[in-house]
Amino acid sequence: MEYLAPETLDDACRALASDGAYCLAGGQSLVAMMNLGLATPERLVSLRRIAALRGIETATDGALRIGAMTTHAELAGLDEGTAAASLLAQTARVVAYPAVRNRGTIGGSVALADPAADYPVALVALDGIIEIASDRGTRSVPARDFFRGMFETSLAPGEIVAAVRLPAPRPGTGVAYEKLCVVAGDFAIVSVAAVVTVEENAPGTTGARDTDIQVAVGGYGMKPILLSALGRLDDPVGAAAQQLASHGDPPGDHRASSAYRRRVTPALIERAVAAARENSRRRPLRARERS
Amino acid sequence: MSSRKIHCTLEVNHVEQDLLVHADETLLDVLREQLALCGTKRGCNHGVCGACNVLVDGMLVRACLMLAVEVDQRPVVTVEGLADGRGYTDIQQALVAAGAIQCGFCTPGFVMALTALFAREPRPDRDTIRNALSGNLCRCSGYVKIVEAAERLAELPR
Repeated sequence: MEYLAPETLDDACRALASDGAYCLAGGQSLVAMMNLGLATPERLVSLRRIAALRGIETATDGALRIGAMTTHAELAGLDEGTAAASLLAQTARVVAYPAVRNRGTIGGSVALADPAADYPVALVALDGIIEIASDRGTRSVPARDFFRGMFETSLAPGEIVAAVRLPAPRPGTGVAYEKLCVVAGDFAIVSVAAVVTVEENAPGTTGARDTDIQVAVGGYGMKPILLSALGRLDDPVGAAAQQLASHGDPPGDHRASSAYRRRVTPALIERAVAAARENSRRRPLRARERS
Repeated sequence: MSSRKIHCTLEVNHVEQDLLVHADETLLDVLREQLALCGTKRGCNHGVCGACNVLVDGMLVRACLMLAVEVDQRPVVTVEGLADGRGYTDIQQALVAAGAIQCGFCTPGFVMALTALFAREPRPDRDTIRNALSGNLCRCSGYVKIVEAAERLAELPR
């Protein structure tokens, strides 16, 4: 096996053009698969020296651009001043174990697209965008289109996930990530990311009102399931469960049966939506005024 | 598999090591097989058990999930390097005092995880301790004593 560690994205894309070439980001899945004999790269293209894949940029309106090589541990420590940053930080904190969080990257997780992974769920809920680089330049794909199935994405051979972009959340937006797993750090049985926009003192009401609710569910299918337009409803959780049912039965596996997933998911959605409302109230006032 | 080896320099337990490694060799392979530092255990070899935890750049990592070439020019600390040959660290002593060792195979991994925890948080509470140890498996299931050891250490006047 050949090992290359190019310093530019262009060189990496060129190196990836050959058959049997794999990208190595944090290696927390790929090296495990190599150890198990499930992946046998002929060439490894390490992304560790590429400065363009690092760093987190926050625009003045609160939009985020996160370099693909950003680790889970770095994201777990994000300032939760904006809703998007808060959801990413909440999600990153429950990805695998401390030692894995120190090495694993958001770009690696997104590119692998494990159906039980955490970030895909959060990114779909947040209307995130995946920035993809290749020797033909860069292109952007909405997260909801990027994930296509089990370990399947819209990445073409020779393409690299360069960054993840999150649009500025609307004022009054709260977020929550609820993950149900057998033990802390395991992949999810089911997980739910909720994005709730709350309008305080809404006209015609005595208090706050949800103007928009968007939920993504992971572990329920081969890719995250988006449930949207749930705001301004009497029973948003019931409506979400109804939308979810139209996606068919969830899978059964060694973690839980299909029936179990079907049974617990509405409760998890309810919990996530309630926590997102609470998160909206907790967000510092200055951040809400600014956004 | 190509037999071409790559030169890399690792600083292991404060000693510089010039090594020739295959691209697919992990840090764990090199520690155990080239450097005979067998305190770092090979449990599952795919990142689940935590028995191979070491510090790279002061950060807790799985030695089985890092290729040795990726550790070039970076400092590594294994369980052998903690006390620097002078007795045991507070964490190691706390585990012994609490009877937190059964067969001992998982112990180095727990020691490294606790070392990383106490370095960043000297007074962790039970939840923080349990979270920090969530990536370590003990097949003797001796978790209660391990958590107790860490809790006692957190409460000790220092």
